[in-house]
Amino acid sequence: MSTWESLLLGLSFALQPQILIYCVLGVLLGSFVGVLPGIGAMAAISMLLPLTFYMSPEAALIMLAGVYYGAQYGGAVASILLRLPGTPQSAVTTLDGYPLTQQGRAGLALFTAMISSFTGAMIGIVVLVVLAGWLSALATRFGAADYAMMMIFGLVAASTIGATRPVKGFAMITLGVLLGCIGTDVNSGAQRFTFGQTELLDGLNLVALAMGLFGVAEVIANIRNPERQKTAARISMRSLLPTREDLRRIPLPVLRGGALGSFFGALPGTGSTLSAFLAYATERRLSRQPERFGKGAIEGVAGPEAGNNAASITAFAPTLTLGIPGDPIMALMLGALIIHGIQPGPMMLEARPEMFWGLVASFGIGNLLLILLNLPLIGIWIAMLRIPFNYLYPAIIVFLCLGVYSVRGLTFDIVLVAGIGLAGYLMTLARLSPALLLLGFVLGPLIETNLRRAMLVARGDPMVFLERPISAGFVCAIVVLLLLPLWRLWRRKA
Amino acid sequence: MQRDWPEVWGGLILAIVGIGAALYAWQNYDMGTLRQMGPGFFPVAIGLALCGFGLIIALPAFLRGGEGAQFDGVSLVLVLAAVLVFGLALPRLGLVGASFVTVLIATLPAQRRGWRWRGVLALSITLVTVLIFHVGLRMTLPLWPRLS
Repeated sequence: MSTWESLLLGLSFALQPQILIYCVLGVLLGSFVGVLPGIGAMAAISMLLPLTFYMSPEAALIMLAGVYYGAQYGGAVASILLRLPGTPQSAVTTLDGYPLTQQGRAGLALFTAMISSFTGAMIGIVVLVVLAGWLSALATRFGAADYAMMMIFGLVAASTIGATRPVKGFAMITLGVLLGCIGTDVNSGAQRFTFGQTELLDGLNLVALAMGLFGVAEVIANIRNPERQKTAARISMRSLLPTREDLRRIPLPVLRGGALGSFFGALPGTGSTLSAFLAYATERRLSRQPERFGKGAIEGVAGPEAGNNAASITAFAPTLTLGIPGDPIMALMLGALIIHGIQPGPMMLEARPEMFWGLVASFGIGNLLLILLNLPLIGIWIAMLRIPFNYLYPAIIVFLCLGVYSVRGLTFDIVLVAGIGLAGYLMTLARLSPALLLLGFVLGPLIETNLRRAMLVARGDPMVFLERPISAGFVCAIVVLLLLPLWRLWRRKA
Repeated sequence: MQRDWPEVWGGLILAIVGIGAALYAWQNYDMGTLRQMGPGFFPVAIGLALCGFGLIIALPAFLRGGEGAQFDGVSLVLVLAAVLVFGLALPRLGLVGASFVTVLIATLPAQRRGWRWRGVLALSITLVTVLIFHVGLRMTLPLWPRLS
């Protein structure tokens, strides 16, 4: 099948009413949670995960993906109007978005964020289609050793690139991998760390883990946070329109941000948050007047918003073709697919074309809906930002408890959520990243299986990781990533 | 001197969890060989790594100054209590009772005073919950408290 035929197949699949409705629902819910600071795509997806058990796997994936990129659009709103990032991915947007609000140009910033997000997503879709075919072909040559090293590379990249203290990332990832060991060992059938609890035989419940870390912990951290009590001012529709000068400044940063985001989104371990930061840094470096940044430069909104949206699309390439999630949200998506009995891998494009191409088509449809809906709905989003957090968080608690309970109907899982919520709150206090923990949790068992298989095939010779070219390439990349911070430290002292 | 206590404690707890898991796995699971790794191999290795990382976080933090964290014990305890009460109450008080009680407990740490808004909020969230999960999704849950 040619790419065009495949796209048409995807489009006809995604436009079926029973699929389209979930796409619409996903992007609307995504925008909603994205706008509200304190609940990100992470919490929203984990709350919705149990509800997707009632759907077909394709509809589930399309809806959850819609929540993810919908949240990117919504996240910019709170960043620009309140200097509170609605989602971590839009944190950079506060740097120049909020100064624009202070200058009375909030409308312009919002308009730019929407247009940039849309363009970034379109770039991302093109890259995803090209990359997915390429990766599927490449993946047939991947052996166990290559998979293991690629995943370890992803984990190292996630904790080193852009981090000030990589060791904190390493610690969270190893903790996640350790928690991933809980349950029945697939190779030997031994029960590890279950302490006689039959509820733990299948491992720690992914939904409970995600809700504890991203729902409960964030609610606790936000209840008495004075920052969280701010509410937004109204803006007029006329202030949305850019001037000719603005129009001249926007296109290039958007294209650069989209390209950067597409690349880093697809790389395992670096996700949309990092893409947004890199896009911002690039724009400031390339600008002829870098002093404007931080004081309301429109390029500082356009670049990162294009970057994070492009990245949120291309991140699906390694997740669906290799079965390797590049960032924590993709880890959650992979978990959702595995719960539905689908193990993504190189055969995905051929075995389930309507799933992959339907998803690609839904990206186009969803982003079109977002740009068409969000500009008229901007008034509603602003009204939502006026709802006090006091009214919202009790509802979040009830919904997430019910969500966890509905997975297996066990009170044990709700108790687990409370325990993990406690741990998650302590982590935020120590400034440790729970997102990396989740990434380690999902990748850990996959790494262990592939590592053991590789060693078995190589008769216990660890040199296998250096003899295979793909694996050796990842080993080299890991060494570079580990040496880079040391080199920087040395250069600063010298 | 004000030490970076959150990181000291965070690092130490991670180190203890790591070494504990490694020791437990070492004693209880078969290590196997490098060629045929047993179920204990990976947990021991990961546990030791976690212990190392925890110490690397804790030790410099002990020697260095840092800002303390805003610890909100009241919100912590009450939110966890709300979650636990929901879990325990759902089989006995049903969806309506559990949601109502959970929202009441959850609103306790909020700084707005008065009981009226808490009651109204609990009623409306309970209504929405019943509409979504019972009417909409037809989840098989007891709706009302069991009288017997």
